[in-house]
Amino acid sequence: MGFPELLQFTFAGLKNGAVYALLALGFTIVYASTGVINFAQGEFYMLGGMLAAFLFAAYGLPLPFAAVGAVAVAAGVGVVFELLAIRPRKDGDPLALIIITVGGSILIKALSRHVFGPDEVSMPVFTRGASLEVAGARLELQTLWIWGLTATTVAALTFLYRRTAFGRAMRACAVNRRAARIVGVDTRTMVMASFGLAAALGALGGLAVTPLTQMRFDAGSSVALKGFAAAILGGLGSPVAAVVGGVVLGLLESMSIAFLSSTYKDAVALVVLLAVLFMRPQGLLGRARREKL
Amino acid sequence: MTPAGLRAFGSRWGWVLAVAVAVSTVPFLTSNTFLVKILTLAAVNVIVVGGLALLFGYAGQVSLGHAAFVGIGAYAATYLTSVAGWPWPAAAAAAVALSVAGGLLLALPSLRLRGHYLAMATLGFGEIVHLGFVEAEPLTGGVDGMRVPPAVVAGLDLSTPAASYLLTWGCALLAMVVLRNVVTRRPGRAMLAMHGSEEGAVACGIDLTGWKVAAFGVSAALAGLAGVLYAQRTGFVSPSQFGLTASILFVAMAVLGGARSLLGPAVAAVLLTLLPYIDALVPGLPRAAAEFVQAWVEVLVGFVIIAVMLFAPSGLAGLMRGAAARLRPASGPADTGAEEDAAAGGGEAA
Repeated sequence: MGFPELLQFTFAGLKNGAVYALLALGFTIVYASTGVINFAQGEFYMLGGMLAAFLFAAYGLPLPFAAVGAVAVAAGVGVVFELLAIRPRKDGDPLALIIITVGGSILIKALSRHVFGPDEVSMPVFTRGASLEVAGARLELQTLWIWGLTATTVAALTFLYRRTAFGRAMRACAVNRRAARIVGVDTRTMVMASFGLAAALGALGGLAVTPLTQMRFDAGSSVALKGFAAAILGGLGSPVAAVVGGVVLGLLESMSIAFLSSTYKDAVALVVLLAVLFMRPQGLLGRARREKL
Repeated sequence: MTPAGLRAFGSRWGWVLAVAVAVSTVPFLTSNTFLVKILTLAAVNVIVVGGLALLFGYAGQVSLGHAAFVGIGAYAATYLTSVAGWPWPAAAAAAVALSVAGGLLLALPSLRLRGHYLAMATLGFGEIVHLGFVEAEPLTGGVDGMRVPPAVVAGLDLSTPAASYLLTWGCALLAMVVLRNVVTRRPGRAMLAMHGSEEGAVACGIDLTGWKVAAFGVSAALAGLAGVLYAQRTGFVSPSQFGLTASILFVAMAVLGGARSLLGPAVAAVLLTLLPYIDALVPGLPRAAAEFVQAWVEVLVGFVIIAVMLFAPSGLAGLMRGAAARLRPASGPADTGAEEDAAAGGGEAA
């Protein structure tokens, strides 16, 4: 395999990896504030793409407005989901919350089929133009958009977490919810905000790839699994860990196509997931926690 | 055996006998083979969900990949009878054994992982097996699936609607009786203790590893058996039947039925299996109503899962206990059912 082909596969891997990173960020944010893995995270990815395409086509909104609208609506759905389905279960029993988010995933998926229909939808690329030529490999402009959006998001999140009172409150909530409440953090609002934020990030990923791959009401769960694999690979710890996990997973997938066969592409994430869960549950960047038993 | 013990024994087996007789008359009462077929599929799901109820409700281990075991059972039995030419009973036994092997494999992560991590690991396991069904074309026929030859035992074709129905329901009832014996005795108590607090269970000398592996093994065996029965009933297996959607539906049935119960999940399995076929069950039902139910059944399932977890953690089982307590005011204070509900709800919180 020549260098241009290898570069081409690297681009593809980095493109998918950026999307996985956005989903992994969503998992990480919700996990940090609540200890819940949100099995409905993939549905927000799907909602992002479906809503953006829908707002663009059906309401004729300009693309940027459709995109912002899609992210906002998805975030709203995330907040409503937290308010109606997560918050009432006050004991925080993980088994119960797993099942609730699984139920949420089924519900959002089924409702989306009714609202958006069973077919694939698409929308135009964000900026028209010929793809770039980099050392013999083709780089599509939409891929640049995906990278740019992910990078901006990570920078914004890092700023939010490190420099703002709101972000500090969310981090306090993640470290110790009770202690945070004692020092006056409104932990309920923080949990709600984390669901909204995670939904917005998932939606952003979904709408950014829709021009390339189209979107369907049932596209969420397979991507969610990859986002989760990325989050686990990174270590469910910080935004940086999520991005590292996403990028590594995207590259692994791409290289498996390059050197093995496209047959095993979807198995890569699953194998990575199981291997990391089994051998290094704290992930690549996480610190080992003491086993309880 | 004491008289009271004898009475309890009699009443328990009396119930089993009554249900068995009632269930077994159906194929003789109706000539509608479609109805008999969907009732058979309900029994298949009763078997899967029974095993899942043991794993989830008693042992506290989530599995979001149980359709994989059903698929392993179905594919193995089909391959061994149609390609390898094995007699059906031998193929069925081997298929169940293979499912158990898969269950033991899935038990491995459960020894290290809990809660969400385990849920995702089982989901990943289910997806890998599903991918295997698609990709292992020489064995499974790939996405096109494979036809299942009729299951013939001693010249008797078990795949006719009535024979299949009786066989499947027979297995379902037997499975329920066996599970009932498991959960009311030492294994059930050990699993409940483990569910409540793993540290506490260890402190009481309970062998966590052993019981977790046993729970996964038993539930995988039942799912494999269900797969074998499913294949001989439907006559066709393909990957799409054993994917994530099926796995999640099984969990939904178990949850709707209620934790710490076998009867509740069994009833939920029957109800949720039959719901999409409501037009075949209720003859006078307007077509529009049936279509409405079919169109919205998934929305309903998602909604019900959330509602049950929020408002009725003991599920159908809790409702049935409450109803039974109201029907039997003389047998003791009417709040026994409520107490059990509270115990079940409180236990889940632990």
